[in-house]
Amino acid sequence: MAEFEPKILAFCCNWCSYAGADLAGVSRFQYPPNIRIIRVMCSGRVEPEFVVKALSSGADGVLVLGCHIGDCHYIHGNHRTKKRMAILEKILSYLGIDPRRMRLEWVSAAEGGRFAEVVTEFTEEMKGLGPNPLKEVRV
Amino acid sequence: MIEDVRDLARKWLEGKEVDAIFGLKEHDGYIAPYLFTAASELDNLTISTEYRLCYTCRPIKENILALMQRREPNTKIGIVARGCEERALIELAKRGQVDLDRLKIMGIACTQEEAKECKCERPYPSNLVIGERVKGVSEDEDINALLNKSLPERLEFWRHELNKCIKCYGCRNACPMCFCKDCKMEQEVFSETGWLPPEIPMFHFIRWYHISERCIGCGQCEKACPVDIPLLTIFKLLRRDVKDLFDYEAGMDVEQEAPLLTTLDEMPMKEEVPSGV
Repeated sequence: MAEFEPKILAFCCNWCSYAGADLAGVSRFQYPPNIRIIRVMCSGRVEPEFVVKALSSGADGVLVLGCHIGDCHYIHGNHRTKKRMAILEKILSYLGIDPRRMRLEWVSAAEGGRFAEVVTEFTEEMKGLGPNPLKEVRV
Repeated sequence: MIEDVRDLARKWLEGKEVDAIFGLKEHDGYIAPYLFTAASELDNLTISTEYRLCYTCRPIKENILALMQRREPNTKIGIVARGCEERALIELAKRGQVDLDRLKIMGIACTQEEAKECKCERPYPSNLVIGERVKGVSEDEDINALLNKSLPERLEFWRHELNKCIKCYGCRNACPMCFCKDCKMEQEVFSETGWLPPEIPMFHFIRWYHISERCIGCGQCEKACPVDIPLLTIFKLLRRDVKDLFDYEAGMDVEQEAPLLTTLDEMPMKEEVPSGV
């Protein structure tokens, strides 16, 4: 049987992380092809509902990537993301979904290498966790 | 106890301290919220754990207190409030729903039986006017049972519980803190029309997340649920988490802004907190 290939959804903010992903591309850093990117204007746009929707619609892991604290294009957008995701992690664990399936990371526009690193590491972690059990719950 | 409430209400009304008293009225054995404007009606004023007075009226989607305050901008309303209702009023005021200056709160304490029935951690208002303060319920079997489960067991548990949901929106309608006119639980993306049970766990997750920081722990959602989903279990856990993470408790101080509405500079988040796993 072939190795389990997780499906990973990444929300990247327009100003830092998406540009970071772009830089990873133009710099030809290698990272696993399991990731699908959705560009949002700010990581503050990512509602915890999006993450749950992604998980129940078949994603094995969700990455939320934004600017470093203090570098947000909208000043305080990522402050809110951080607080929201902390609560989301709690609810996920109470519901019986491994909170590691959601990860919040800060990737700046200059960190192409870090983007590749984060994606590689996260993909490996998801491979270790196996398929997302929530997929089967949806009738 | 009820006589004291009636006497004080009469005193407030006759002394023109308030223009009306908002409380529960007993009529032919039924109990419903009622606005008492005449002292003669006050014999029917009653107290009951069945209703919370500050919920949002559906389908007009208006908080009844907010609606009354807006329609009558110059009146002062007296309200008979238990601990949870007082906390709800503070949270509602914080979010611009009600005007506390035009409310006079008559804080009443709950009895030990009532506290047990609601699994209430704080069965008394901070401004207690009538009644004796009793100790809250600190141990909750449901919470311990959930925390002792492994992750797959928890998922199995919720799959079983949430499968019972008949999408009646009772939890949302009974919740004093659910006041949005446009409710996410009605949006097609998050809960498709014609699906029963509603998407697991999205439908209930929306409320757990939205109310997480403002839950006052009244337990009305769980009481309203016709299929007995233990909704309060996660709400109570989240109340603890919010306290651990932000050192914040809902419904305590009207000046203190809510954690999810503030930046990290205004209300920092503690990094190292014990995980729920």
